[in-house]
Amino acid sequence: MMRIPFRVVFEQRGETPRRLSLLVPLASVLAALFFGALFLLATGYSPIDTYTNMFRDGFASFNGITDTLALSTVLICTGISAAFAFQMNLYNIGGEGQLYLGLIGGAWAGIALGDHLPTLIMVPIVLLCGALAGAAWIFVPAFVRSRLGTSEIVSTLLLTYIGASLIKHVIYTPDSFFRNPNTSFPQGRRVADSASLDSFGSSRLYPTFFVALIIAGALYWIVKRTEFGYRINVISDSPRAAHYAGINARRTTIWVMLISGALSGLAGAMLIVGPYGKIEPSIITLGYGYAGIVVAALARNNLGLIIVSGILFSGLRVGGNNLQVTTDTPIHIGVMLQGAILLFALGGEAFRRYHIHVVRVQDATARKAAV
Amino acid sequence: MRKNHIKGFALATAAVFGLLACGGSDAATDTTVAETMETEAGDDYSMLKVAVVYIGVPDDKGWTYQHEQGILELEAELGIEVKRVENVPEGDEAEAIMEGLAAEGYNLIFATSFGYGTPMARVAAKHADGCFQWATGAKFLLTSEMGGEYATFGDIPANLGTYFGAAEEARYLSGIAAGAASPTGKLGYVAAFPIPEVIRGINAFTLGAQSVNPDATVQVSWTKTWFGPDTEKESAESLLAAGADVLAMHQDTTATGLAADAVGAKWVGYNSDVVEAAPDAWLTAPTWNWAPYYIQTALAVAGGTCPSDEYYGSMADGMVTLGSFGTSVDEDTQGLIADTAAAIIDGSFAPFQGPVSDQDGNEVVAADTRPELLDLLGMSYFVKGVIGSPKG
Repeated sequence: MMRIPFRVVFEQRGETPRRLSLLVPLASVLAALFFGALFLLATGYSPIDTYTNMFRDGFASFNGITDTLALSTVLICTGISAAFAFQMNLYNIGGEGQLYLGLIGGAWAGIALGDHLPTLIMVPIVLLCGALAGAAWIFVPAFVRSRLGTSEIVSTLLLTYIGASLIKHVIYTPDSFFRNPNTSFPQGRRVADSASLDSFGSSRLYPTFFVALIIAGALYWIVKRTEFGYRINVISDSPRAAHYAGINARRTTIWVMLISGALSGLAGAMLIVGPYGKIEPSIITLGYGYAGIVVAALARNNLGLIIVSGILFSGLRVGGNNLQVTTDTPIHIGVMLQGAILLFALGGEAFRRYHIHVVRVQDATARKAAV
Repeated sequence: MRKNHIKGFALATAAVFGLLACGGSDAATDTTVAETMETEAGDDYSMLKVAVVYIGVPDDKGWTYQHEQGILELEAELGIEVKRVENVPEGDEAEAIMEGLAAEGYNLIFATSFGYGTPMARVAAKHADGCFQWATGAKFLLTSEMGGEYATFGDIPANLGTYFGAAEEARYLSGIAAGAASPTGKLGYVAAFPIPEVIRGINAFTLGAQSVNPDATVQVSWTKTWFGPDTEKESAESLLAAGADVLAMHQDTTATGLAADAVGAKWVGYNSDVVEAAPDAWLTAPTWNWAPYYIQTALAVAGGTCPSDEYYGSMADGMVTLGSFGTSVDEDTQGLIADTAAAIIDGSFAPFQGPVSDQDGNEVVAADTRPELLDLLGMSYFVKGVIGSPKG
């Protein structure tokens, strides 16, 4: 049997050096681009042209940058939804489902309240109803998590499928409140005009983008500066210490999850007051809720970085989408590049958390023996 | 007979367009049609930039594959290259992509899914010089009364057209094959969504089956998905368990056929002629031929006009066809189907020829009449003999 004389050893770092916090994500993205370049070369496409086009269509043209910011509006919300839960080591995988409920809650308010209130009041109500519906959708997972310790990963994920069925139900069932009554085609019923915002000029960017920025800032402030945020930090660092300090972990768990659900619900309601104006069954194929988990992971769940990672990821998606339009690059290349960047960014985590060295096998055995 | 007709049509089209592509250098053989079209379009299609937006990928062996065949023919006939954009999700990202295409100078854009309507209309409004074609669409759905964004029908951009076809004609014919192949008269139908398009197909299939077996029934199982191999398989198996010996489908995968094949039942496919998926089970399939429409629309745009009607194709113009027959469709049945197809094509027969009754026995189409196109497009009832609810 052939023996490999070297072995890779992972040693957990006590403290991550500051320079690595910046260096690792940067190197990860570069490594991903390098990997992508090899792939592009191997399949006969020019890496320089491809990257130039992606960058131009994602960030450097009027349509590119406005489409990127428009997409990031939703992804920032679902991103902080995932990252906020993670502050307490809770995994809300069901942002997608909470977003569906946000569509339903938002559309309900937009239709039921009619065209009586000014937009300035109506839109916040619609957004609020979407957020409440998202929070309601995560209530049961939050409750059983806090009382019985049931895995929120499974329960929130499974509820997403139920949410998708609910969307289909409200659109495909005749006489549904959310369905346009004038046609036998399954069309959503449009919300009142006062519940619809106009996009900026000829772009597809809606004022909800600034709401997303404000919400992101507010959540950052809550976690860093408030007593509630302090409790979250103590619980996530040491549940036992939190218990001795008299912090009610159960109640905090429920609140954190409800807020997380509300943020994804808000994302859904933003689609209602923004580009869609009604429940469109195709929204359940877009995966904006799942993408939020990716955005949070790219920001390493750092709430201060979600805006950056949300815009970066949106730009990649917009630029990747347009690769097909402006070049002959197939869709799979764009998707592969997005995947590679994510994979390398997450893989880079290992370098941040662990001190990695390659040692001779004898040394490794000796080390093990010493432990 | 049906096949000959279709083939004849295709040959005629090919001849006309072939001449066009050659630039009419051989004046002696030019027909009047070719001459008129030539003066409209010339043989220079360099101003024509065509793009197609696909909901899936061209090798799905289903809906998108069938459109791809039409696009390939368009490219061959006109000697042009068509831009394909694949896997485009419906919604505002589709709008960004179509906007990008228009900005790149594409002046004829086809979009092959119902959900592209709103984004396509928005882009059409911004690019009046382009021509936009929405497959399976219906422009009236864009009016505010129907939940759309335009106050009146007249406000909808004039450079937006829709195209679809009377699949019910081929559905009816496939029903004949199914009715004749079923000893028990119990048929099953794996159906995607309770929308008029699907309901219309189920009804036409049922009427076709009843034309050879008046007692035939069709049990419907809704999957609530277009593309879901697992769900489709489960639905198919539940219908087989309930005693169906022939399954039809309105889905994008061959899962129904594989399930039928596994228990020795028969299968009517949809979209594509994929007999090889389950040769023993295969009867036939209603399929699409988008090539004639793609070619005629491209020629119209090259000639300076953008078709903006709601185009409803049929077997007569070749948009709707029937696939090849499996071994268990006998000669007599093939002959009957060919005769019926000829009657449909020459207009002497229609699938919903009255009298037609709904599930409760109420007459919905009076004797010797046919439903109006809008009634067909909005069909929301099941005909007598269908088991299940048209409400899903």
